[in-house]
Amino acid sequence: MESMGSAAIFYATAAVVLGSALYVVVGRNLVHSAFALVAAFFGVAVFYVYLGADFLAGAQVLIYVGGILTLLLFGVMLTNRIYNLNLRSGAIQVVPGALSAGLVFALLVWIIQSVDWGAMDSGDPGPTSESIGRLLVGDYLLPFEIASVLLLIALMGAAMLVRRRGSS
Amino acid sequence: MSDALQSLSRFLPELILMAALAVVIVADLLTQRRPLKSSTDLLTGITLVGLLGALVTSWQALGAGEAQSLFASMLADDGLLGVFRPIFCLTSIVVLLLSMRSKELEGVRLGEMLALLLTVTAALMWMAGSINLVMIYLSLETVSVASYIMVGYLSSDRLSNEASLKYILFGAVSTGAMLFGLSLLYGMTATLDLYGVRAALAEGAFGPGLLFVLVLIAAGIGFKIAAAPFHFWCPDVYTGAPTPVTAFLSVGPKAAGFAILIRFFYLGLAEPAGGGAIAPVGGADWQMLLMMLAVITMTLGNVAALLQTNVKRLLAYSSIAHAGTMLMAACVLSVEGVQAIAAYLAIYLFMNLGAFTVVILAHRVTGSFEIDSYAGFWKRSPLLTVAMGIFLFSLMGIPPFAGFLAKWYVFAAVINAGLGWLAVVGVLNAAVAAFYYVKILRVMVIDEETGPTPALAFSRLDLGLLVLLVVPNVLGLLFWGSLDRVTEYSQTLLELG
Repeated sequence: MESMGSAAIFYATAAVVLGSALYVVVGRNLVHSAFALVAAFFGVAVFYVYLGADFLAGAQVLIYVGGILTLLLFGVMLTNRIYNLNLRSGAIQVVPGALSAGLVFALLVWIIQSVDWGAMDSGDPGPTSESIGRLLVGDYLLPFEIASVLLLIALMGAAMLVRRRGSS
Repeated sequence: MSDALQSLSRFLPELILMAALAVVIVADLLTQRRPLKSSTDLLTGITLVGLLGALVTSWQALGAGEAQSLFASMLADDGLLGVFRPIFCLTSIVVLLLSMRSKELEGVRLGEMLALLLTVTAALMWMAGSINLVMIYLSLETVSVASYIMVGYLSSDRLSNEASLKYILFGAVSTGAMLFGLSLLYGMTATLDLYGVRAALAEGAFGPGLLFVLVLIAAGIGFKIAAAPFHFWCPDVYTGAPTPVTAFLSVGPKAAGFAILIRFFYLGLAEPAGGGAIAPVGGADWQMLLMMLAVITMTLGNVAALLQTNVKRLLAYSSIAHAGTMLMAACVLSVEGVQAIAAYLAIYLFMNLGAFTVVILAHRVTGSFEIDSYAGFWKRSPLLTVAMGIFLFSLMGIPPFAGFLAKWYVFAAVINAGLGWLAVVGVLNAAVAAFYYVKILRVMVIDEETGPTPALAFSRLDLGLLVLLVVPNVLGLLFWGSLDRVTEYSQTLLELG
């Protein structure tokens, strides 16, 4: 009974994620698309909870929904004449695009079916943040530091591109 | 924790680069109000000291001490990394000097460019050392992001902006594909460690599913080395970017891409089969995949280069063709292939950067990158024409020059591995390549100049650069000994069992 219930939650969430993601792509109104993206990101966060990844779920909500999307919405709303903008997306090469997307989809389905994924059953999900924290300053110290270098130069580059355009 | 502290002593070149990065950022902020010239000179000096320090320490580290893994099996400090570190440092030093002489970058604040150059040099070293899927992705992404910004550095220049945007779009798609492939691979093997991946793949046959995953990952690596069919960004980006950046992209990320290719395929997807040979594991025929990539890349690069009229575009396609030649060596499935790639890259560094140096110096007087603008160059500057001739003959692989040695290593490895047909395709391609390299020379020497011809003046820096780049190309055959050093160390890949 419990597995039936969790399966129902899974499929309902998947429907929400896919439906809103589709709307983001085909929608003609930028603001509506941005709000549809909120739903898609929340759905992914639900998946993380469902898989017992509590830290990832929290990070997903904080960073994607809370940070990136709010910024995106601000950007969209502060842009002039956003409602009159004619978004032309998906109007060109529908057939080749649909064909290649279908082919990739078929390939992925086939791989997911054919490969033995060796699923792990880790029992009851517990809190993960402590072990993630230990890994970040232990085994994954170097990637952690490199990520900070990556963010530093990304920040510098963004500042540089904006500043130059303003001054010239 | 003690492991991390212990690793730091074998991490000296990267630490020096990071220290120089911090100093450059702070010095850039402090000298914002000073005149452009003095602040640029100061920052360039700091960067040069950092790069030279990294070069010296990485040269000293070459072959010193046993191969070992650093930072809890994130990086491998072995002969391959040892050989690649000086290659990256030398490339960045030449690019730094070129950016001081480039007309495009005159009157532009170079602070961010220098910080990016230091970062990207260190990131290339991380790429070449990665033995963990997370590290592979992260270092590749650091190099990519830094390259996007460097390509779009001239923000008032439309071509530069367009190139940067194209680079970002292609880069996002190919790194996305690679990341998806890596995640599938993690799902199959339940480990991020390359040696763990090999152990897991050796136990079960994954067959065609694994091959699909490898195609996705090859898209990410192929994007970095500009292999067809992941090369579409290359001509536009090379044309639009400031020329010193183009020179950098044609050598640095390409070399690091090959290092990752070797590590990923030779360590993660194959096990030692005795006598320096390796055997693929997991039931995926990736040798065939690489052979197909090599043939397509070589042929497409050379044929497309025949049609070019812009010298930067021509060199872009020629660099694609060279990537194809090196991919041939990657199909060999033994240490001989690794040695050939390392030797090729060590020589390619001098000949390709040399060609770009001539392009940049010529641009100072002609103001153009069209091949037609080189008409009558022989009369304006015999010295530069001769230098260009040496670089182009070396790129062709004509015997007295070092490029011949590079080609010889690759073809010897390919033929020894019994891939005669691949060698034949390679030789045919080399013949095609001779046409477009000679075309440039023909315009320089035979064609008559049409317009006024301002005289060409060299600074001492120009002459020093030309000597630095010409000498290894001319005396390549005499440097056989140091090349032996390259091939000897490059084969000691870290073996953790």
